[in-house]
Amino acid sequence: MNFTQRAFVYISRKKGKTVSLFLVVFVVAVFLISCFGVLKASERLSRDIRTSLGAAFYIRANTEVSMNEKGETEVKENHVHITQKEIDEIMQTGEIKYYNPINYGFAKSDTIQFIQGDKHTAENNMGKVAALRFSALAPNFTDETAVLVEGKHITETDNGKILISEQLANANHLSVGDMLTLTHAKLGEADGAYIDEIPVKTAYAQVEVLGIYRLNTEDTSIKPTAGVADNEIYASLDVLNELNESEAGIYTGEVDFYITDPAKLESITRNVQLLQSIDWTTHFIRTNDFQYSKIADQLSSLGDLVKILLVLVSVVSTAFLTLLLTMRMRGRMQEAGILLAAGISKGQIMAGFLLEVLSVTIMALILSYIASLCVTGFLGHSLFGELQPNLLNEETITAGIQNNLEIENYLKLSAVETLLIYFCQFIVIAASTLVSSIMIMRLKPKEILSKMS
Amino acid sequence: MSIIKTCNVKYSYDGNRNVLKNISTDFEVGKIYAILGPSGCGKTTLLSLLGGLDSPSDGQVLFQGEDIEKKGLAYHRKNNVAFIFQSYNLIDYMTPAENVALTSKLPPLPILERLGLTKEEAKRNVLKLSGGQQQRVAIARALASDASVILADEPTGNLDEDTAVEITNILKECAHQMNKCVIIVTHSNELAKQADVILKLRKGELQIADIPDTDMRKGWKS
Repeated sequence: MNFTQRAFVYISRKKGKTVSLFLVVFVVAVFLISCFGVLKASERLSRDIRTSLGAAFYIRANTEVSMNEKGETEVKENHVHITQKEIDEIMQTGEIKYYNPINYGFAKSDTIQFIQGDKHTAENNMGKVAALRFSALAPNFTDETAVLVEGKHITETDNGKILISEQLANANHLSVGDMLTLTHAKLGEADGAYIDEIPVKTAYAQVEVLGIYRLNTEDTSIKPTAGVADNEIYASLDVLNELNESEAGIYTGEVDFYITDPAKLESITRNVQLLQSIDWTTHFIRTNDFQYSKIADQLSSLGDLVKILLVLVSVVSTAFLTLLLTMRMRGRMQEAGILLAAGISKGQIMAGFLLEVLSVTIMALILSYIASLCVTGFLGHSLFGELQPNLLNEETITAGIQNNLEIENYLKLSAVETLLIYFCQFIVIAASTLVSSIMIMRLKPKEILSKMS
Repeated sequence: MSIIKTCNVKYSYDGNRNVLKNISTDFEVGKIYAILGPSGCGKTTLLSLLGGLDSPSDGQVLFQGEDIEKKGLAYHRKNNVAFIFQSYNLIDYMTPAENVALTSKLPPLPILERLGLTKEEAKRNVLKLSGGQQQRVAIARALASDASVILADEPTGNLDEDTAVEITNILKECAHQMNKCVIIVTHSNELAKQADVILKLRKGELQIADIPDTDMRKGWKS
């Protein structure tokens, strides 16, 4: 009987010991892969956050809040605007990746029945329009209040394109590619009713439904039809121009500027505020690092924690495996003595022990790969799911293609990395088995047999 | 004909106290040798040296006139000698047939059947056999190796009287019919009485005795 036959007989007969070794190797492998996956994910995520959106600053007109004679609060907007020339000047300060001006207006259409709001009438059957350059950068999309479910986002090259909500699309049987005619409108109030302040329609815009979005939040507040969140239409900048509600190159709403590196946000905004062309008494600047600093701290802490955990898991699992294998080998001392007494060489005995352990190890490692895919998937969603909103990528913004990042990919290790972990574990197990075996084999056969008796 | 021989063999555990002193003895095939002596006198050590489980501190063990260390102790254990232990020393996760096959140059089943085990018993786990059956498996393993010298350390020590007689008869058959040299270390006078040559080990020296003492163990202790 050669050592391979002996190894096979041991594995098949000593089921309890085989299963316990299998489980230990399996659990340790899954643990190590998961820890390495989390460590790598935190590093990848940190890098992606820095290189995707990075940070933003917003410039918009001041609003004046005052009390009227009746004691009611009145919000008065300064009728100021930012021009394309001013934007170009800001862009020349450098380091700014995108800008996204937003103009707001209202629109009606004979073919659209908007979701009814408070005091709905045929006259106030209108929706709010947010005309912008990149719809993917609209706050609702960056904070994932809304998510594109069909079609594409609006980009700077689009004209006559709109995004509508899923609810509005369903209510009017609209789908991506449908053409609509919009007309201008303005929401007003008279005698306690909501009215359209532009009763005579002179401006029309032919638009195509480019995409459909879904709102992730439910708006239960009482609002007129035009204020209902599902009635909001995202449009390319030209749409409100055609409806005579804005002028080309003049932006009355907020203008958002996006930079690559959050670390440079402060210095860039300082430079922008030095520009004389913008009246800073009527405008204000607001910064947003997309919680980069907070996330970076969290990621750094997570990274440190995972590193500590990884070292602990590696040390403890290696120690545990070595101990288990040593105990296992000590339990085989009698067998080693019997085999030595029978004239079987030390090399053959050790080869048999090694073959048993490594056969079980290989089976455990193969299955642990499958298990680790499930574990990393679960960990990905629980650890990094919350960070996804900030991970809009360049393709989504500039090409309009909805390209949600797969969290699993963040934790998934490459084949080389996985093989490297397995190789290290394999070496540790082989070395532990050999060292334990050598500790027995360095004894003379008589000493082994004496210990047995 | 001398098959195995010790020449001035000395053995000490710590380099000072000699357990075995200048032991020179010939062992011939076709005979049973019984080595008697009190506990701790070095009987098992002598058996280990003959079997190549250990090396003497001084002197030589010769097999067919050649120092066993020349070809290596593992070679000697594999080809020249076979052991039978008091505690059987069978591999517990194997069947009797597999235990015999460990060292077998011959098919295990006929040997096991010759020693009184059925085919079914030969395929059971060894731990499910009685002590006598386990010792038969150990003897079968020794016979299957086709070694010329069988070294038995208290082979009947764990067995009842009837089974001990059966095992003794098998060992006698090994020596007298199979022409093997059987060297037994024992405390049992009954077993020693069956030997062709009785050797007494006392204070590290080996002496030949014609017949065993009536109460050998008691005698050694006094």
